[in-house]
Amino acid sequence: MMQEPDLKMFLFFSELYGRPVVDSEGRTVGKLADLKVLLGELFPRVTTLVVKKRHEKKLAALSWNDVESLNGRLVSLKPGAESRFTPLDVGNEEILLREDLLDKQVVDTLGAKIERVNDIHLLIVNRDLRTVHVDFGVRGILRRLGCLKTVDRFTNWLFAYGLPHKFISWKYIQPLASDPKKNLKLNVTTLKLQELHPSDIADIIEELDKANRSSVFKMLDLETAAETLQEMDPKLHLSLIETTPEEKISDILEEMEPDEATDILADLPEEKKQRLIRTMEKPYRQTVEELLKFEEGTAGSIMTKDFIALHRDTTIAAAIEEFRQTTHPLETVAYLYVTDEEKHLLGVITIRHLLLCDKQEVLGRLMNPHLIKADCDDDLATVAELFAKYKFIELPVVDKENTLQGIITLQDIVKAKPEEL
Amino acid sequence: MKGFDLRRRWKGFVLFIAVAGPGIITSNVDNDAGGIATYSMAGSHFGYQLLWSLIPIMVALVIIQEMSARMGVITGKGLSDLIRERFGVKVTVYVLVGVVLTNFGNVIAEFAGIASSLEIFHLSKYVSVPIGAVLVWLLVVKGTYRSVEKIFLYACLFYVTYIISGFLSRPDWGEIGKSLVRPEFDLSSGRLGMIIGLVGTTIAPWMQFYLQASVVEKNIMTKNYKLSRLDVIAGSIVVTVVAGFIVLTCGATLFKAGILVETAADAALALKPLAGKYCSALFAFGLLNASLFAASILPLSTAFLVCEGMGWETGVNKKFSEAPQFYGLYSFLIFLGAGIILLPNIPLFSVMYISQIINGIVLPAILVFMLLLINNKKLMGEYANKRAYNAISWATVAILCILTIAYVVSLIT
Repeated sequence: MMQEPDLKMFLFFSELYGRPVVDSEGRTVGKLADLKVLLGELFPRVTTLVVKKRHEKKLAALSWNDVESLNGRLVSLKPGAESRFTPLDVGNEEILLREDLLDKQVVDTLGAKIERVNDIHLLIVNRDLRTVHVDFGVRGILRRLGCLKTVDRFTNWLFAYGLPHKFISWKYIQPLASDPKKNLKLNVTTLKLQELHPSDIADIIEELDKANRSSVFKMLDLETAAETLQEMDPKLHLSLIETTPEEKISDILEEMEPDEATDILADLPEEKKQRLIRTMEKPYRQTVEELLKFEEGTAGSIMTKDFIALHRDTTIAAAIEEFRQTTHPLETVAYLYVTDEEKHLLGVITIRHLLLCDKQEVLGRLMNPHLIKADCDDDLATVAELFAKYKFIELPVVDKENTLQGIITLQDIVKAKPEEL
Repeated sequence: MKGFDLRRRWKGFVLFIAVAGPGIITSNVDNDAGGIATYSMAGSHFGYQLLWSLIPIMVALVIIQEMSARMGVITGKGLSDLIRERFGVKVTVYVLVGVVLTNFGNVIAEFAGIASSLEIFHLSKYVSVPIGAVLVWLLVVKGTYRSVEKIFLYACLFYVTYIISGFLSRPDWGEIGKSLVRPEFDLSSGRLGMIIGLVGTTIAPWMQFYLQASVVEKNIMTKNYKLSRLDVIAGSIVVTVVAGFIVLTCGATLFKAGILVETAADAALALKPLAGKYCSALFAFGLLNASLFAASILPLSTAFLVCEGMGWETGVNKKFSEAPQFYGLYSFLIFLGAGIILLPNIPLFSVMYISQIINGIVLPAILVFMLLLINNKKLMGEYANKRAYNAISWATVAILCILTIAYVVSLIT
């Protein structure tokens, strides 16, 4: 049937596995043990036949080009193929369907879930055998148990119902490493995993085993890795951080708001924490060190330094200009804080003021001096109460001398660990 | 220097408490209704004579549980997960069917325990069992996992009641010491059957799945594995001490008085006139707690291991529609298990007994899979079994196989 080049035919891996492999004269050479696939194309091609030869312990490999024809019952080889068997060798861009995929877990990047592979759907097109779908369904399990037809007949007879197919296209599949020492082999055509929402990636990583957790984490870019780390169960931080090179981790941390990075750092063992801080860029490192001084569970430990504070004599026009010049991303832009020469907090002014008031007016006259503020040493429960009572979206944090140290946003307090509240 | 040393030791202790749990919890769940029934019978039929057998049982328990914990820490995967990935879907389905049937037998036994413990307080099984089933079901489905685990942890403290009731019964310590130091190896068929019963209840197949899953859930790092091993050893000692005290209590009272116990509830009732009403109440309370504890863990653990092996969604934090197989199997095990106990005139004792037979038959098979997996270098790397360790563990499996076969043969003949 493979002599007709246009023929398209679907096959399941379970239908091929274990089938006799026969030479051009019809003698049985061995059994089909596996298929090797070269990743990189949308629907990757089977390049190599893996055969368990008679009376030989080791598996032998044979190029797909040596296959004459293939059907649900046997695999026939071209003349002279027997002499072209080689020892099995798996390259970086290659996977074995049975060894690396069948019965293993994969990431379904369409549904943002981890699934177990019950069967693999292959397509013969133009003499090539290609991987097109992965079967996650009960049908796949029944097919491999050899009772799909019986069950189908039964459910049709009794309920007039057929079990549903559960296929996912190969392009949405990210295989995981079955051997903890091996690296992840990327389904390079898509890199769909990267496009998922970080909280979905975090959920996926939480469900994986240790080895795959760190390999999936390693393949994320810095920004995605940073967001994923923040979304993840903090209990997993340490094991992920320990299995990732320090330089990369500090780069990932630098992608975060300093207060978020501080939260993660604060839970690490002292030695690890110090080493990570040392590898950070200077200005970022100073901010983090300052934030780390505050005890965990206090306002100081969760506050952020990203706020705008201006002197009371600044005019509205100058304040707008200042606002325009602030290029780094702010966590929130609802308020500007007004201080004196020594950075003592005097009042607050809203963006609304900047837009509506006379451009020559100075901040000191427009500001609201009646401030609700938190002290650096206040515990989080107290801060949470302030937020609940006054319904602010952010709150300034001052030290004992009333010097403005930072702000806490509503989001910071929502994300705080429940046991500290 | 001394202060530093103390602090380091304290830090080690705190870390141990944090990692501790899976081993200790598993071992305590192991002292379930079936276990208590068997231990009581051992004490009432043979006095202190079989106490020695708990020592080799403890050694086997430590070895087997250590392997479960090690596999959990190193691979980060559950046992059914590993069996599926290594041996394929066919083998997995057979193993899972066997394990589900075995565990279902144990679930029924737990509800038998609930029924018989509350009959001591004159509560009919038609009231106690349905309430127990709903309670257990809600505990897991509606409670958050964290609070559920805390309830389980506190529940472990109730096992002290066995030790208290043991002391209240004033045993003869000299005689106990003698039977431990110089045991009589009189292996008549009655004694052999009892020893096999003790092995079967103490080392159950479900424990290996449950322990490994809990270790994975805890996400213990490889470098902290030593603490996890400590936890398993501590748990195995705890389970043996509790089992020993049940045997001892029954030996000190029932055996001396010539009362033969047929069920654990009998044991509690028989203790009433001998050691005062408190001892009986404690025993009943302990049995109820043990049954409830195991009844909430067994169906959950079974649903977990099946869904994990088959690749279905799991987790108590998922909605029913997200994990239908998980909740379906979980609910089915509880309500069918409880329903069977509600059948009029069901012989509770035979039910517990049959569940132990199936336990015994399935156990060696599970152990063989465990040993094949833990010797897989690709999976375990440098943490695969060493040769000496392998010799001991294969020998344990062989002895268990022989005992199991002998057990089955003795039941047939």
